[in-house]
Amino acid sequence: MMALIFAVLLLALLFGWAGRGRLAVAAILSCLMLSIGLFLWEVYNPEYGFRMPWIQVELINTPAGACS
Amino acid sequence: MSNSAETSPRFRAAGETLTTLFYLSMLLVIAAILTAAMGFQYLNGEIPCPLCLLQRVAMFGVCFGLIANFRNGYSDRNTGWSMLFALFLLIVSVRQTLLDIYPRPGHAYVGSAVFGIHMPVWSVLIATAILIAFGLKFTILGGDGKRAGRKAAGALGQLAALASIYVIALCAINFVSVVVQCGLDACHTYEYRLLK
Repeated sequence: MMALIFAVLLLALLFGWAGRGRLAVAAILSCLMLSIGLFLWEVYNPEYGFRMPWIQVELINTPAGACS
Repeated sequence: MSNSAETSPRFRAAGETLTTLFYLSMLLVIAAILTAAMGFQYLNGEIPCPLCLLQRVAMFGVCFGLIANFRNGYSDRNTGWSMLFALFLLIVSVRQTLLDIYPRPGHAYVGSAVFGIHMPVWSVLIATAILIAFGLKFTILGGDGKRAGRKAAGALGQLAALASIYVIALCAINFVSVVVQCGLDACHTYEYRLLK
């Protein structure tokens, strides 16, 4: 997948350099879509989903009547 | 808001030169950052993680808009691509920073720290700096509507062409490197798949 993303990115840069505007835009749009897809796939965890429980803070239970 | 000074040929020429200088400076800084990242990879043996590679993709994406401005003439659409990829860089780097912010088995900042700051945190700063730079550019120099279709000329234009070719060459090297590291499968940081 990453190889495909870099291949499309290289094509976009080459088309842009060659003045092939529409092909360049199609390639860079594909690159962005593929990159977003891979990013979401990389950060997704079957256990946590997209949550990040390691940075979640816990609410400290304070005894009833205690003032803060 | 415009006056007669803004539409004079001298004012327009100065605006074009400043715009070219702005885009060229940004391209050169990003090229330097990508070169440094590749230096760490090949000289220090630090194999990039998948999110690190996506951050490189985002930086090349920013360069795409800048190169299109140099080759095909100034356009806000080209700058729009650069800003979209800068935003993507910010999202990926913030997520990676949060992913590794609390060290635990399998998760810690990878690679060397530069001035005590690791790569994903640097990427957050770089993406923010790019977006601030575009904001300042639009505030001070305005959009490229008045300069639409014009290209960088003279010595600056030649320098821009050279810098663009250098960035495309960097992307080609990265493509080969990614194929060697990942093959056609998912990427890992412990080996180059095709060299084992």
